[in-house]
Amino acid sequence: MNYNQPLELTGLVSNLHEFFRDNLSPFWATLVEGALVLLALLTLYAVIALALIYIERKITAFFQSRLGPNRLGKYGVIQSIADMIKILIKEIIHIKEVDKFLFYAAPFFVIVSSMLTFGAIPFGQGLQAVDFNIGIVYVLATSSIGIIGVLLAGWSSNNKYSMLGAMRSGAQFISYELSAGFALMTVVVLSGTMQLSEIVESQRYAWNIFNGHILALIAFIIYLISGHAETNRGPFDLPEAEGELTAGYHTEYSGLQFGFFYLAEYLNMFIIASIATTVFLGGWMPIQIKGWDAFNQIMWYIPSYVWFFGKAGFLVFLSLWVRWTFPRMRIDLLLNLEWKYLLPINLINIIVMVVMVLMGWTLSDWFPALFGN
Amino acid sequence: MDYISNFLFMRSEVSLLAVMVFLLLFDLIAGKKGMKYFQPIALIAFAAHTIWTFVPYEAGVSFGGMYDYKPVMTIVKGILNIATLIVFMQAKEVFDTERQGNKRGEFYFLTMVTLLGMYFMISSGHFLMLFIGLEMASIPLATIVAMEKFSKKSAEAGAKYILLAAFSSGVMLFGISYLYGTVGTLYFTDMPNLISANPLQIMAFVFFVAGLFFKVSLVPFHLWAADVYEGAPTNVTAYLSVVSKGSAVFVLMLLLYKVFGNLIVQWQGILFAVIVLSITVGNLFALRQDNIKRFLAFSSISQAGYLALGIISGTAFGMTTMIYYIFVYVFSNLAAFGVISSIENKTGKVNISDYKGLYSTNPKLSFIMMLAMFSLGGIPIFAGFFSKFFIFAAALEKGFYVLVLIAVINTIISLYYYLLVVKAMFIDSSDNPIPTIQTDNYNRVSLFICTAGIILIGLFGVIMDKIELYSFGM
Amino acid sequence: MAEQIIFYILALVIAVFSIMAVTSKKVIRSATYLLFVLLATAGLFLMLNYYYLFAVQVTVYAGGVMILFIMAIFLTHKPGDEFKTKMNWKVKSSAILSVLGLLLSGYIVVANVTRIINYVSGKEMKMQELGVTMMGTEKYQFLLPFEAMSVLLLACIIGAIMIARKEKNNVESNNDLDK
Repeated sequence: MNYNQPLELTGLVSNLHEFFRDNLSPFWATLVEGALVLLALLTLYAVIALALIYIERKITAFFQSRLGPNRLGKYGVIQSIADMIKILIKEIIHIKEVDKFLFYAAPFFVIVSSMLTFGAIPFGQGLQAVDFNIGIVYVLATSSIGIIGVLLAGWSSNNKYSMLGAMRSGAQFISYELSAGFALMTVVVLSGTMQLSEIVESQRYAWNIFNGHILALIAFIIYLISGHAETNRGPFDLPEAEGELTAGYHTEYSGLQFGFFYLAEYLNMFIIASIATTVFLGGWMPIQIKGWDAFNQIMWYIPSYVWFFGKAGFLVFLSLWVRWTFPRMRIDLLLNLEWKYLLPINLINIIVMVVMVLMGWTLSDWFPALFGN
Repeated sequence: MDYISNFLFMRSEVSLLAVMVFLLLFDLIAGKKGMKYFQPIALIAFAAHTIWTFVPYEAGVSFGGMYDYKPVMTIVKGILNIATLIVFMQAKEVFDTERQGNKRGEFYFLTMVTLLGMYFMISSGHFLMLFIGLEMASIPLATIVAMEKFSKKSAEAGAKYILLAAFSSGVMLFGISYLYGTVGTLYFTDMPNLISANPLQIMAFVFFVAGLFFKVSLVPFHLWAADVYEGAPTNVTAYLSVVSKGSAVFVLMLLLYKVFGNLIVQWQGILFAVIVLSITVGNLFALRQDNIKRFLAFSSISQAGYLALGIISGTAFGMTTMIYYIFVYVFSNLAAFGVISSIENKTGKVNISDYKGLYSTNPKLSFIMMLAMFSLGGIPIFAGFFSKFFIFAAALEKGFYVLVLIAVINTIISLYYYLLVVKAMFIDSSDNPIPTIQTDNYNRVSLFICTAGIILIGLFGVIMDKIELYSFGM
Repeated sequence: MAEQIIFYILALVIAVFSIMAVTSKKVIRSATYLLFVLLATAGLFLMLNYYYLFAVQVTVYAGGVMILFIMAIFLTHKPGDEFKTKMNWKVKSSAILSVLGLLLSGYIVVANVTRIINYVSGKEMKMQELGVTMMGTEKYQFLLPFEAMSVLLLACIIGAIMIARKEKNNVESNNDLDK
């Protein structure tokens, strides 16, 4: 046990790893570890979703001067668990004229894509399931599969509203995915690596958002906007604009299938927040100031996953704030915003960032004593 | 070599790119008034590019062998440049009209991109570069084929062209992937020694070469040609039949000579069959066409057969004759297309039967058309005769007697249908012939250049000598 | 051993779904089956430790091309439309020819692949190396194709805009003809 960081899980993880390695053949050790990681991730996935649903409903209620869920348990804390049970035991309604195969396959695309992305997030020190050297590209790649599920759901439902919702969603997603990708690439230029763990490590004394000052801030804002749009929320919820389209692409879904869409939507919000945290806000790294050893040590006593969830939670809150502040956008405004503003700004931003990094205009170059790694 | 000198080594590509960027910016900045001068400026810029890149320089490679330059390539690129310039001159009239005027910027840019793709194909030293060049030469071309989008035929032609181009490049990639699997490299310079005629390599070669045959429209892969030629705007058809074909044949030859030298027995066999088929089928189908663009499509298929005949010998002389043939073919075919294009622009008539009595109203145009037909058919003293003669000589030198015999018989058949057009213009009379046509000066100049080319090239031996200086065999 | 099992599973997925993509009567299903093929191919790359290729395969094909396919199908088809293929002699004869060609090529390939190279070295390619390879000018570096691709893409965009652009004059004149 590391007494400097008493609450970290690194020790536990490595002990488990050694235990399996000593007692099982390599093949079985890998298998068991894989199964355990999978189990942990799935549990975390479900728990985060439930928590988010509760938090969202509560915060929404406060924004709208209501009380929100308050019957089940103290302050209604087990409301979302009750909802989950309800959704699990609800009948899945079979609809006659749908394209059966695609209709049933569509929710899986959405949930699998969000799961795959979820797996690559570094939740804390040593708490990362896969750490590819192409981390960021991997995250972008896997998150882009989800939209296919949405499109197929809209198509196979054989329903105008679903179809319109899916088309809007498709147009929106492919547009904003570009911005999100470019914004992340700007940071890749800054930190010189795509590996998520290395990106976190490189932000020990200066978060990227400070290290790249203006440009990183622009990239951060663009990433938040486009990430927000990718999750079809807030002012960008055209695909499921309930006034026009009933519920958009998942109109025809019920029971667990609807649950999948619902779950994935919430988790995507969290995933966007956690990628933003990892890439811009230093990930699980506690606040560290060079030279202030005592302060740093105190900061390390707070475990890394708390830092991570704290930062991500703040971004989630920001997203909810935006959601309940701005009115829904029209589709042409939405596409204009992306293609005429965000994308050109982004393209210029990435070029200027390259120049900045080459010329050594980052904070860590200017003040190596304070922010240098 | 550093970055800049690597790029500057590709003289013609960089120069063409500069012209393209200049025209794009001009199109962007010039208002309605400025756009009046767009076409003359584009022509001048392209002519400057043609002249400035006409002189061969020392052979070499850049980008670590990705780009491989030989002086003979400058000659071929020069020929392609001249052909493109003539096409541009003939197209000016079309793009002055209200109907197509708003697309002139795109037409020039896209045509030049395809030309750039052909440059890359010609001087590539790596299969990847070859493939990108090929795509660059075919995808934008499909969009200008479909340029008259409100004409169903043009849209259909565009769709056919792009689908078949995609299919053929798929087949080609399949072949390339097996080649890579057997030799482990894609650089042209590394490959020849590793190719040893094992069945897998032969299979890969067949798949690969099928893709190029498609571009050249040799016979088993010619089915797109007639429809696309008919549907495309006439100037684009001219471009397709001359520039696109010429570059693809040259690339085919370069690859066969440089990379697949060890497979000579195999490719000579393949080419033998393909040539016989192309010349014969092209001729037989050309006999029964009334639409002049379809007619020229089939005629160009058989011409492609003759071009391939220049390749089959595998000697430097074969290479020379083939380049010479392309050069002559450029002028003859473009003369014919110039006449067709100006008649179609003014009257919209594209059938051979409409050409009856053309001599009585448009003696000059019919005279040029006659020269073009004579040259394509290979009647002595016109350039077409000499080019065919040299091609036959090159094939005979290596003992392809049967092949040459078949080709000669087909030449006689082809004379029949080329003369049918001449007969329609000069001998047949018609109650309502095509009225007298005033073409603009640009078209006149282009037709004059073509006529001069048809008459003079054959008489100046110096051209042949010049090409021979740079040619290389296996 | 485990790798071989995974390989065979992926290969099976690729083969089965390729056939299904071609034979399916509904165009959107074809697209979906094709997506499975592409994803399984990405899996093959993953097996070889080509992470970058894996990510590119997924982003470009699953994230880009397939969405464009599906959007194009949305805009041009009605849900529930089916292809009606007539099996006339042309289709049959070309099918027979293709099968023969497939058998011949397959035989050639199987009979001549003598050496099996073990590509799985377990070594990860560094992103930095990849970047240098893409941007370098030496042998086995690919700056020129990279740049040429950009010109090609620009030309494709311009061509597509030219085809798709609204043209008021022509529409009106067409309408005039109709009258």
